Formats: sequence, C-alpha cells, structure tokens
Amino acid sequence: MKRQRSALAIALRVVVIALASIGTVLYTGGYFPGGLVLLAAGPAYLGCVYVSAGADGVRKRLVVFARDLGTPLVAITIALLIGAIVLVATGFNPLVAYGALFHGALVRNWHISVLNASPVIFTALSVAFAFKAGLFNIGAEGQYYVGAMAAAWIGLYLPFPAIVSIPIVIAFAAIMGAAWNLIPALLKVRTGAHEVITTMMLAHTARFLSNLFIRANGGDPANSPHPYRTTEINVNTELPRFQQFMPEANFRAHTGILLAIVVALLVHYILTKTRVGFAIRAVGHNKDAARAQGISVAKITAVALLGAGALSALAGVNQVNGLEHRLLQDLQANFGWNGISVALLAGGNPIAIIFTGFLWGALDAGGQFMQRTTQITGSIVEMIKGLILFLIVARRHLFVIVSAWWSTRRRGARAIERPAMEYPRER
Amino acid sequence: MSATTSARRVILETRSISKHFSKVLANRDIDIVLHEGEIVSLLGENGAGKSTLMNVLYGLYRPTGGSILIDGEPVAFASPRDAIARGLGMVHQHFMLVETLSVTENIILGQEPGRGPAIDYATARRQVVELSTTYGLDVDPDERVMNLSVGLQQRVEILKALYRKARILILDEPTAVLTPQEVEDLFAVIGTLRDRGVSIIMITHKLEEARSISDRVYVLRSGQVVGERATADLTKEDMANLMVGRDVVLRVQRSGHRAQPDAVFHVRDLRVSDDRGRAAVNGLRLAVRPGEVVGIAGVDGNGQSELADAIMGLRPVTGGAIVLGGLDLVSCSTKERIGRRMSYVPADRQRFGLVLPFSIAENIALGRHDRAPNIRNGVLDYPAMRSRARELIARFDIRAPGPSAPAGHLSGGNQQKVILAREFSRDPEFLLVSQPTRGLDVGAIEYVHSEILRMRDRDVAILLISLELEEIFTLADRILVLYEGAIVTELDPAQTNEREVGLYMTGGKENTA
Repeated sequence: MKRQRSALAIALRVVVIALASIGTVLYTGGYFPGGLVLLAAGPAYLGCVYVSAGADGVRKRLVVFARDLGTPLVAITIALLIGAIVLVATGFNPLVAYGALFHGALVRNWHISVLNASPVIFTALSVAFAFKAGLFNIGAEGQYYVGAMAAAWIGLYLPFPAIVSIPIVIAFAAIMGAAWNLIPALLKVRTGAHEVITTMMLAHTARFLSNLFIRANGGDPANSPHPYRTTEINVNTELPRFQQFMPEANFRAHTGILLAIVVALLVHYILTKTRVGFAIRAVGHNKDAARAQGISVAKITAVALLGAGALSALAGVNQVNGLEHRLLQDLQANFGWNGISVALLAGGNPIAIIFTGFLWGALDAGGQFMQRTTQITGSIVEMIKGLILFLIVARRHLFVIVSAWWSTRRRGARAIERPAMEYPRER
Repeated sequence: MSATTSARRVILETRSISKHFSKVLANRDIDIVLHEGEIVSLLGENGAGKSTLMNVLYGLYRPTGGSILIDGEPVAFASPRDAIARGLGMVHQHFMLVETLSVTENIILGQEPGRGPAIDYATARRQVVELSTTYGLDVDPDERVMNLSVGLQQRVEILKALYRKARILILDEPTAVLTPQEVEDLFAVIGTLRDRGVSIIMITHKLEEARSISDRVYVLRSGQVVGERATADLTKEDMANLMVGRDVVLRVQRSGHRAQPDAVFHVRDLRVSDDRGRAAVNGLRLAVRPGEVVGIAGVDGNGQSELADAIMGLRPVTGGAIVLGGLDLVSCSTKERIGRRMSYVPADRQRFGLVLPFSIAENIALGRHDRAPNIRNGVLDYPAMRSRARELIARFDIRAPGPSAPAGHLSGGNQQKVILAREFSRDPEFLLVSQPTRGLDVGAIEYVHSEILRMRDRDVAILLISLELEEIFTLADRILVLYEGAIVTELDPAQTNEREVGLYMTGGKENTA
C-alpha cells in the first residue's frame, strides 16, 4: 500500500514536470493552448500533494498560494484603478486604454512580452542573489553589458557546432560578468567600500566601454546603420529560435526565456538546498552571528557578488545570442536597472521573479501597443508600474496606516499601538 | 512601614486596568495603589506585563478597560504630555537624552524658561542647580551628557522628570545598567526623593533590590497581580515563587565536583585593541582547568567584549597567545576554533548568537551546516536538521511550536536555550560563556545556571564573563577581576564578598594578591 502510494507520487511528479515544461515551452513560444497544458499542471501538482500529505496538505498549500498571490493581485488592482482615475481625469476612456494594454501584452504582442521578460529575469535574479547575502547589487546594468560584450566577442570566433558553442558562450559570459564584479567584491572585503557606489560606477564604465568594444569589432562610425553595431556573430553561437521547432512562433522569439526559467529554478535550489546558499542566507540575515559560527563573511560576500555578476551577464547572452545576434549600442538599455524593480517586486524570491519578470515585460509590451493604437501616452504604464512597486514594497506600512485610520473611525482610538518590548512572543 | 503607608493619602490608583493587544491580554484587571511618599516595586518576569502597565500609566497606551485615578480623580491620558501635566515622570531603561547637549539643556528641553524665542539660560541653570541640591542629585549642570557616566546620565533623567514637577516617578529597571556602587548611590537618591514627598514606582526583576529599597511590592504574572505584600513580610524566596508560580531554586546547588589538575586553556599576555584602535585588553593572563568555572568579574567596558572576540577569533590580537590543548590558536580562524571543540555563548544573543529569521532547526545547524548529518548527498538535509532540533527542543525544554519556528518568535529565555542547545550539544572541550542570563527571568536563569554547572561536572573548561556579581558567585570556582583590560586579582568565592569584588572592579583597591 505504502509502496504503491510512493510510486503514485513519483508518477504524478513526473506528470507535473512534463506538463509544466511542455506547457511553458508552448506558451512562451506563442502557442496559446500551451497555457491550458500549463494550467493542467496545477491540479496534477495538488494531486501529488494529496498523495503525499493528504487533504490537509492540499488545504495548507492552497492557503499559501492564496496568500502569496493575494498581495500582488490586490496591488495590481489598486494600481490599475488609480491609473483609470488618472485616465478619466485626463480625458481618456480607461476601458479602451486597458483593452489595448491587455490585448497587446497578452495576445497580439505576447512575443514582445516574452522578449522583454527574459533579460529582466536574469538581472532580477542577480539583484536577488546578492540581496540574500545582504548586498545591494545596484549595478546589474554594468554586468549585463559586460556579459553582452563577452558573448558578442566570443560569438565572433567560436567555430564549434552549436551544442558545444552555446555552453561555452554562456560559461564565458558568466565568468566575465563574475570577474567584473570581482572589483567591487575585493573593494568591499578589503576596504569596506560600499557595493552600491562601486557597482553603480562600474555600470556606467561598462556601458561606455561597450561603445569602444563595438568600434573594435566591426562598428564603423563613418558609415554605420543606426544603431551603431558590431559584426554579426557566428550562427552556431546563436540561441535556438522557437520557430526552428514550432513553425507558427514569431520569428524573433528565442529560447532565452527557457534558459531564464531554468536558471531561476537553479538559483532557488542553490539558495535553499546547498551549504553555500545556507551561508549566504545566514550572512544576509545576520552577519555577526554567521561570523561567530565560523562562516567567512568575506568569502560569502565575494561569492554573492561574483554570482550576481554571472547572472546579470546571462542577460547579455540573452540579448546578443538570442535576440540581436550582434551587440548594439546601448543594447536595449535599462534591463539592469529594471531588474532591481523586478527583484524588489518578487521580494527576492527567485521563483516569484519569473512571474514579476513577465509582468514587467508584459506591461512594457502592452504599453507600447496601447500607445501605438490608441494614442494614449505610454507614461500611464510607467505610472502603473511605479504604483505596483510602491504598493507592494510599502504594504506593511500602508497596512498599519490604513488599519489605524480605520480603528480611529470605529473606536476613536488615537495612537498606533504596539505591544511593549517585553511582551512574550511564544504561544 | 506598611502600617503607616496605609494611613497616608493615596496619590495614584488603578482600578481593574486591562490592556489587550489584538489577540492577547497583556494586563488583566490590575488594581494597584500608590501612597504619597511611598516606594513601590513592580516585580515580574519578562512578559509579565510590567512595562505595558507602566506605559498605560504614562499615557503611551490607552487601557482597554478600567480607570486611573490621581488624587482620587479619574484621569484619561491621550499622550505622555497629559501624564506629565498631572505630575507623572518616567525614567526609561534606555535614556532619552541628547548626548551633545549640556545637562541643563537636556533638562529644560521642551520646557525652556524665557520669553518668546529667547531662552533664559541663567534662570534655567539656577533652577537646575536648585533642584539638584534639594534632592541631593549631584551633577555638573554645564557638562555635556556624552561625558557623563551611566549613573550620572540617569540622574539627569530623574532631574528632567522633577523639573517637570513630577510627584510620581516611574523607574523602569533603573539598576540594569549600573555598577554595584552606582546602585547604592541611586538607592540613596531614591530615599531622598521619598523624604521630599515624591512617590516612586520601580519596575524590576531583581529580587534583592525590590526587597532592599521598596516599602511594598506588587508581583505580576501573566498580566495579573498575583500578590501584594509589605516588603518587610517577604523573603526573596517568597517573591521568586510568586513571580514564577512555582518553587524556584535561587542559587543552584553546586556539586562537589573537583577540577582536573592541569589547565587545558591558557591566555598569555594577550593584547587586543578595540574598534578605535585603543588597547582594550592589556597583557591579560589566565588559565582554565577542565571541570572548573572561572568567572571574570568587571564593570562593563573593561575589555570583556574584546577578550571574548579575541578568544573566538572574531577580532585580531596585537600580541600574546591563546592556547587550547597545547596549540596556539591565534592564527586559527573561527571555524578552526569551533572545529577544535570551542563553544561560545555570546553576550548579545540576538546579534552574535542567532539568525533570528532562521528556524530553530537552521540555527542549531548553523556552523555545522556544511557537514553530516546536516548535509546528505551534497545538499542540505532539512528532515535530518528538523529531527535533530526536535530532539534538542525536548532535551533543553525549549518552549516553541516546533523546529520550523523562527528563532525571532521565541522569548529571550527560549532563544538562549536554543543557543545552549547548539553549543552544549557539540561536546565542547572549552566553553566561553558571556553574560548568559542577561535579560532573562528568574526561572530561565535557574535553568541556564544549572546547565552550565552540568557542563562543568562533565569536565568542560568554562570561562564565564559576567557583569552580574551574583551570577559569578553562583557559578564560579575562581573569580578573576578584570580592570582596564587586565586581571587585577584572583579571589576565592568562598573567602570574599560582593563588596570586595566590587572595589577591585572599580579600581578602588590595589592588587594585594
């Protein structure tokens, strides 16, 4: 009986993984029925939980899901409502605007949403990874450029078949991104220089360095198409496009998004299951206690910053080897900076970053579509993005303020009260 | 005394004060009475509701039910401003002073004399001097607060309250930060205040102090008053039992265990600098034998934390040797020292002992998270970590919902038990224990002390650093007095007393040993 049970659990788990991966590939490639496959993975997963933990486990899982999803959904709804008020006040029809926004983001230009999502997932993972160690890698933008340069450079020369070349490109870019962050890491460990300053300065350095790089690798200032660009990389170093195996897919859609999702899962695994992940979290929460228990804070700081550099560099690989096949001046800039918002929005959770990355990408894609089709300015989307971020990041404070206001109305109490410090927190 | 106080005028009274916080009842139906010119102690463990009650009295919280009467009139305070206007003053445990301002400026802050925007400093200074002579609170009115000792800063706080015409003074754990000599001075001041007609409520969990200074004692437990006695009728044991609700052993029984003859841990001519690069430990020497507790007594700031850091490899040394089992550890990392069976119970448990957002299981694995049994097949084995934690939760009587509960959700006593569980279960050869009972209540202190003595009986070499002389006397087999970074004398606890140790601690007695 018990053996049957565990066999069933394993079988269900395989089904879940199969449904989820097939669904993800189809859906991100623009095959909408893939979404249904992806949705089917949900009940299969709950079945899996039921077999191993019973109805109680299922209930607990659902509560957790509802709680995790509740906050962002409420925040998005409030942000959209405020946006609607602004639209009405400025003389636009919010229904038309949001109709275009959603149609553009989720249907018509879904492939652009996906293309936007993958680089920002990488840079958000980079920010989150460092953040788990208590470090603010604000210069993800710079490591992204370094990764792009590394990928474009090696992409010009690698002669091997794709199956060999692509892993080499990924590894090389990651190493260069990590090496770039060796500078702030050493400065931090040796002199205590704050990584916010050093990585930010290096971000600007890397961005302008890329112009010199383009000049050295085929960019001709005298007669160059706009934007300024390098020679095209070898075909065997390009990431596969969805069209190669899914003919209906948009011709620009590439598999970088799948890499992003796999890397997000990998980062989650590293943080929760490995000893270095444990040490990173310990240092991030309390470096004094970690040090007193023999963890080398210097080593963990270096590991976190180098890892962050490698993750951001993969965003560069995604853009160069996946999308453009060359390095463009100013790439599509700001994916590094946007990564900070996406990571904050996800509360630093690598799995949540997959979703917040898609949200950001979709809002951008939908906003462009809305602007083009309805003449409503895309600024409204930037405003909504800002509001969502604000509502989620400040939710605890907002909650305190709102509940205090509410209780004032109800009972006439004046002060926001917290229990005395000595209050027992057990039981 | 109690007979006369009951005849005096009642100045403050609470009638069935209750205070809820969302779900929990912090105070329930509390009735206390304070007479004019009386000193009352409010005694209770951490979490008994003492601070909540005081915050209600001082207008920081509004009671959920019940009423407060001053001079027989019901009052309702919306904020401390109202409470001050009715003659209440409060001295918090953590002082609320502006360090860069002078004593006079601190005292008048918010109530400056003078007309319009100009402050009349001459009047202010004169008023402050008058106050301090009236109440015997000697302090230089022109000195900056940052240059004052903790004891004098506390006087400034008391003067601040008196300047605002306080007739009722609430003192929240006033002795927590003071040296034994400063405590005596404070009690003398409190006596003078009472003679001048000020009524005093003192919050404390130190039994001896409650007994020696107050006229009456209220004992709080779980938010309720469980006893009200005239101090003269009470013994320390009575008070402890009332506080905890069961019989408590105040001084843990020591076994007749004898230490091994040869010391296993040595510190030789150790020199350590503090954060500002000044010598904090100055040629310190000591030795600890297996099976003994060596207690280091000293006033805070005489090199205790630098010594502890240096022993654990958390701070570089500028000279000397730290030897365990014949091996000099000075060049070893913290990790290597832990690997050589050194365990450490740090003074600041929340900062150096625990990762508060981590679960109990993770905190117990911390430091050994990179090896079996916490690692299996190269990855963290959470089920194994949890089952280990479950075992230790039972063994060390940690009150927690389970091994996955975050350490930050536990009470101070249980947090300390988590640290003890981690450190003691690693079978140490040498144990460094720094202020193991700071901020803990009577029941938890009893437990921690008996666990430390159990380690001693298992022939662990134990170095105890404590600011509490009572703790040193309870636990130590030998007392070393630390003054300005060096050991000034060694004393036998059986042949000395707190007064003598206190004199050495303050540098008041030259080394005669």
